[in-house]
Amino acid sequence: MTDANLPSPKTGTTPGMAAGRALPHWVDRFLGGWRVYRKNTIGRIGMALLVLFALMATTSFIPQWVDPMYHPMTGVDPQISYSTGPSLRHWLGTDFIGRDIFSQLLAGARIAFMVGISSALISILFGTTIGMVAGYAGKHTDLILMRLADMIMVMPTLLVVLLLSALFGQLNIWIIVLMIALFRWPGVARVIRSQTLSLRHRPFIEAARVAGASHLRIIFRHILPNVMPLALLYMTFRVTSAIIIEAALAFLGFGDPGTVSWGMMLQWVWKTGHMFQAPYWMLPPGICISLITMAFYMTGRAMDDVLDPRLREEETTP
Amino acid sequence: MDGRNCWRRGVLLLLTAVMLTACHEKNTHHVLNIGLAEEPRTLNVWLASDANSRKVLSLIYQPLYVYDPDTLDLVPWLAESMPVYDAQTLSYSVTLREARWSDDTPFTSRDVAFTGSLIQSFKVPRYASDWDFIKRIETPDSRTVRFYLKQPMAAFLTGTLSTPIVQEKEWADFAEKAQTTEKPLTALVNHRMQHPVGTGPFTLEQWRRGAFLHLKRNPHFFGIGKTIGGRTLGPFVDDLVYTVFGTSDVAILALIKGDIDMLWWPIQPGYMADLSRRKEIRLFTNEKSALYFMGFNLRRPPFNDMALRRAVAYMIDKKFIVSRILQGQGTKMFSVVPEENRFWCCTDLPRYGDGMSRENRLKAAYQVLVDAGYSWAVPPVDAAGNLQAAREIRLPGGQPMKRFTILTPPADYDPHRATSGLMIQEWLRELGMPAYARPMAFSSMLEQIKGHHDFDAFILGYGHLGLDPDYVRNLFHSANDKSRGWNMSGYRNSAFDEMADRSISEMDPVKRQALVMEMQKLIARDLPYIPLYKPSVVEAVRRDRFEGWVEMLEGIGNIWSMCQVKPVSSDGA
Repeated sequence: MTDANLPSPKTGTTPGMAAGRALPHWVDRFLGGWRVYRKNTIGRIGMALLVLFALMATTSFIPQWVDPMYHPMTGVDPQISYSTGPSLRHWLGTDFIGRDIFSQLLAGARIAFMVGISSALISILFGTTIGMVAGYAGKHTDLILMRLADMIMVMPTLLVVLLLSALFGQLNIWIIVLMIALFRWPGVARVIRSQTLSLRHRPFIEAARVAGASHLRIIFRHILPNVMPLALLYMTFRVTSAIIIEAALAFLGFGDPGTVSWGMMLQWVWKTGHMFQAPYWMLPPGICISLITMAFYMTGRAMDDVLDPRLREEETTP
Repeated sequence: MDGRNCWRRGVLLLLTAVMLTACHEKNTHHVLNIGLAEEPRTLNVWLASDANSRKVLSLIYQPLYVYDPDTLDLVPWLAESMPVYDAQTLSYSVTLREARWSDDTPFTSRDVAFTGSLIQSFKVPRYASDWDFIKRIETPDSRTVRFYLKQPMAAFLTGTLSTPIVQEKEWADFAEKAQTTEKPLTALVNHRMQHPVGTGPFTLEQWRRGAFLHLKRNPHFFGIGKTIGGRTLGPFVDDLVYTVFGTSDVAILALIKGDIDMLWWPIQPGYMADLSRRKEIRLFTNEKSALYFMGFNLRRPPFNDMALRRAVAYMIDKKFIVSRILQGQGTKMFSVVPEENRFWCCTDLPRYGDGMSRENRLKAAYQVLVDAGYSWAVPPVDAAGNLQAAREIRLPGGQPMKRFTILTPPADYDPHRATSGLMIQEWLRELGMPAYARPMAFSSMLEQIKGHHDFDAFILGYGHLGLDPDYVRNLFHSANDKSRGWNMSGYRNSAFDEMADRSISEMDPVKRQALVMEMQKLIARDLPYIPLYKPSVVEAVRRDRFEGWVEMLEGIGNIWSMCQVKPVSSDGA
């Protein structure tokens, strides 16, 4: 582990001066990481799947421009008022009131990304900050923050969110995102704390302290860049769990009813009695949930490889 | 050797005889397996407000009169004949049938009087309103009951006389004890009833919570072999076994597999195509005496304005709701009284937006709002009469309309109402209204609406409306505009109150009918509620196991069916 501002031990050059051409330091690190990532088959599959889902999410606005009947929530086919199988007009068929399932699937990809990435970002933000502060401050601060993390960690997220939902009525998608994030930071905080503990006695931190840097500066300028890759790695896993929790909530009837998510699609197919009658309706959201969580997991595994050189295969040098 | 063979033959013959007898016994013992959606909550008849408890208790405790399945007229049940009214003394005399309780003690007029006095003294919520106008109950002899009324009350026949009668012997001691407690009603409804004693066709044998509930044929049932209402009664099955299924998928599979013979549970349209293809399954579709409606809070803006409510009524596409959300399994409603209730339903009511295209509905609603002084940043209809995306509707005072919510039950409780709420939200947004549908847990929703009156609009439904239109008075009378009162909208109209009060004490059905019609007209004009739809009940049974199901309003799950179903195979049919 090195200070991000120090010369790279591998190349012996100042970051950003690779091959005699000035490249920003982060670009250099990114390209280096990408070279390792590219060699990882699991990572490549995961990335390909993510690109596919990202494409689905970004194109989700197109169908309703083509025709209002393709609006995933309110658009209905004027000629179809029941669930029908795939056709040229509706590639994946229609749901029980004649809404296009393909449009809903595209909209679901957008929601999955939104929920997954937003809640993962928030939980990483909380987890990293709390972990760094706990690890750096130590003593009572560490004790209090880590016990708090322990308490939240043992809470069953889905159950608590279900209870809150039952108490306060159906939850808005952003409140669901926030709640998932608030229950998923402790794991990140613990890892970041242990990383911070190993960093805080390193010479470059001591040097910064001697040079008169404030605690905040040390935490955010010197420790944060070193724990950031780890935080990002954990983010991929948090995305996975956030997507699954949102889908479970929606499937159980506690999702945001104004949002078309894959979990909500599954809830509709279940509650209207089409579970065994309409596989063209039930399977796509189920498969998408599995694939997108798998894609984030695979990406995370490959990033693990990038960030931890011990996991890489020996490179044969001529 | 011969002796041994003889002995062997004898044993063989005996075994064969035993086996044949056993087989014969099995064939003549008929068990009707019924699938339920949820566990009954209680066997305490005073607490049972959930449908599943009533499905069990309705076969144990019996009323004096029941409804005929075809005509929906009252038929004497525990009573022997129709009540005799004496206008002079304002009393009804009822002669009781000779009947016995399931513990073989005689059913007498004292039991009826005891039931009435228990309801009155404890003010049992479910039945109190049907009994609070009874001045006293006399029992001249063991088979005659005389009810003296404080004032003429039209709901006496359909309400009071349809109350299930409990046994004095079973409840007297406990009721006395409960009266000495600080909260008598709480003590009464919390009483854990283990083995209810009733006069019905079945009696409780065993209830294993979470697994099954077993009812056994009551050999003392007064109806056995009798013809009542033109129907010869059984019951012709020995046992009823209720099995609880958590989800409809499992229950439907059990029905298809033959594990249950009847699903006492409305079936979602999604299953119907598959079930109707199966020869061994029979589907029954019946009407429901129900009202599903959108209600408004008339106590605060924006829905304290009748013009706004009328515009909403124009925007709601009931045809869409019935044909798509209900998949055709229901009917549009325009009055708060269902159309099947022909005598009381007023058909001469405004049908806002019915039969109009989306464009015309929007224009009609826009016109209503413009006339009432509403304005927009961008109106839904431009100067040339073309539709456009509306933005920011402003109240007649000029201030922008604040965001409002339409509360609905959650989709897992009722997908139809939840989806209807969402669609109505979208339709109202076409008018530029900041509408937000918000499904919430049913109990929280009721608390917010009935308890705190803290809401803008909601979608609710009454699934089992009585046939007497007394509920119209209850729902909209200003006296019921109180916390937890029936008048959830806070509708206050002195003309309506006056008519409602007259209607309840009017004993002439024709005059009362005229009053009830006028009341419906006032509601349709002022729109505290917009009636939306009434779902049909689709139920499924195994065709190859039992026959003789009796269809009536609310479906085949009724006392007549349970007294008449017969096994198909017993006579080789």
